[in-house]
Amino acid sequence: MYKYTLRRLMLAVPVLLLSSLIVFGLMRVMPGDALTVLMGESGNIGEKELAKIRRDLRLDLPYYQQYLLWLWQMVSLHPGDSIFTGEPITTSLAKAIPVTLELAALAMILGLIVAVPIGVLSATRQDTPSDYVGRVVAVSGLSLPDFWLGTLVITFAAIWFHWIPAIGYVSLWESPLRNLQQFLLPAAVLGFRLSAATMRMTRSTVLEVLREDYVRTAWAKGLEGRIVVYKHALKNALIPVVTIVGGQLGTLLAGTVIVETIFALPGMGRLTVEAILFRDYPVVQTNVMLVAATLVTLNLVVDLTYAWLDPRIRYR
Amino acid sequence: MATVNLRAAPLEAAPTVELGRARALWIAIRRKPLGAAAAALIAIIVLTAVFADVLAPYDPLAARPEIRLAAPSWEHPFGTDDIGRDVLSRIIYGSRISLWVGLLAVGIGTVAGMIIGLLSGYCEGRTDLVLQRLMDGIQAIPGLVLALAIVSVLKPSTTNAMLAIAVVIIPGNSRIVRGAVLAAKQNRYVEAAQAIGCRHPRIIVSHILPNVTAPILVIASIWLGNAILIEASLSFLGVGTQPPTPSWGLMLSSTGRAFMEQAPWLALFPGLAISLAVLGFNLFGDTLRDAWDPKLRRG
Repeated sequence: MYKYTLRRLMLAVPVLLLSSLIVFGLMRVMPGDALTVLMGESGNIGEKELAKIRRDLRLDLPYYQQYLLWLWQMVSLHPGDSIFTGEPITTSLAKAIPVTLELAALAMILGLIVAVPIGVLSATRQDTPSDYVGRVVAVSGLSLPDFWLGTLVITFAAIWFHWIPAIGYVSLWESPLRNLQQFLLPAAVLGFRLSAATMRMTRSTVLEVLREDYVRTAWAKGLEGRIVVYKHALKNALIPVVTIVGGQLGTLLAGTVIVETIFALPGMGRLTVEAILFRDYPVVQTNVMLVAATLVTLNLVVDLTYAWLDPRIRYR
Repeated sequence: MATVNLRAAPLEAAPTVELGRARALWIAIRRKPLGAAAAALIAIIVLTAVFADVLAPYDPLAARPEIRLAAPSWEHPFGTDDIGRDVLSRIIYGSRISLWVGLLAVGIGTVAGMIIGLLSGYCEGRTDLVLQRLMDGIQAIPGLVLALAIVSVLKPSTTNAMLAIAVVIIPGNSRIVRGAVLAAKQNRYVEAAQAIGCRHPRIIVSHILPNVTAPILVIASIWLGNAILIEASLSFLGVGTQPPTPSWGLMLSSTGRAFMEQAPWLALFPGLAISLAVLGFNLFGDTLRDAWDPKLRRG
């Protein structure tokens, strides 16, 4: 297992470096540089001031030095300041990350709570009305855009219950109840989309496993249906489900961008969208890199979990 | 170099793929009514986009403030928006943007992905290593976030959104093509072509490319739905199509959200159009996959 972990870690480092090169390169491909475009748009800044800001932001250095400097800033957790607010990026991130983490974790939990039991039910009652309902829910979950679902939820919650998303974020430690009120609907919207693919995967793997010899043996021993399904079948069926859940982490992170914007949650996604709209490129490149690093790390964790669950993987 | 015993292993005839594929698709559509429904849905969307001028009852940009936020009626089946524009006409014209962006983005992404995949799979070695690590680097960034970053660098517009979506599509496509090329290279007729001294471009075009078209078409059809979804998401966030051009995502974010309590139809219909388009392409992609490439079913 150690060798496998080491090998996977060695593979993750170059991927992250390449991602950082892509993000850095992307921010430098625009004609002129970010600042010229930005100031050209505002139109009220002189050449001298522009040169000073460029020097302050180290944009006058050669590209390779800028890259190495940025890389060092990222590794040493001091990614610089926002062009617009002047606030250190770490300060904005410290406020935004807990919001996104809570939203993503809650969405994942809600998604799994819905997906796994319905997937099992769909498989154990194959081709019955409950199976059809489960499958229709799964397909619609994959096709409904989360920004539409979110807008509809807000629209009808406002019409029927006169509920509107609270302005001003309340942390979990300040008031758990108000915090949950704020997060439940957005997490449900995000979780619904995640549950669709998991539900489909659980159904197909449980169906596969239910046809295995050891499940037939379990039935033949006269075990209770629930024990056969949950203890014998589900345990093995869940291994590919871990991969599917892992594969959805990217969707989850991208989904937070939309859901946070709709429900006015001050998380990473909203911070990134705002930075993009204001062309605050230090914030954009830091946030995008952070999302990439999170995704690579989470994928690594999923791969390691998978190898731990299924010993055949690590000996390949 | 591998030796090929031509007498013992006669050259396998390249299958007459085109006729076979059309038949396989027809059989799959007949067997699976859902596939037929998806094909019909796509046909309706395409026809709507092509004949938007004829089908739209009103000018999508003509404002009539006297009937602003009018509820759905016989005159305006999907109601009107905040400045009195007919929502149905805007949705009909919006299909053009969605399809145009989807087709072009998938077209560019597929061709670029195919070239990279072909080079990667055919050359192997260092070229493969460098290209595939680069693809890993792009794939490490979630699609929507990458598209957002690209659009932020260029400038919010429909064309830039399309380019951004194309970049997002490239890595996945290159992977699929690379896999298919590696498999196709194992065929004896490719080895034979190398043995008799065929040039690389000819081997790639005549012997390998026909083997990778099926997976490419399947993936492209699935990506079409996703491309429409990403375009709508970008427009929803304000960095895709710009007003007053009718785009489904933009309609939902601008008027749909602002007037959601007074006029819920403004949020309902554009979202429904996006969902149906995405559903149609997803289901059609599934059908194509079942018909042409059963190996991809679990992928």
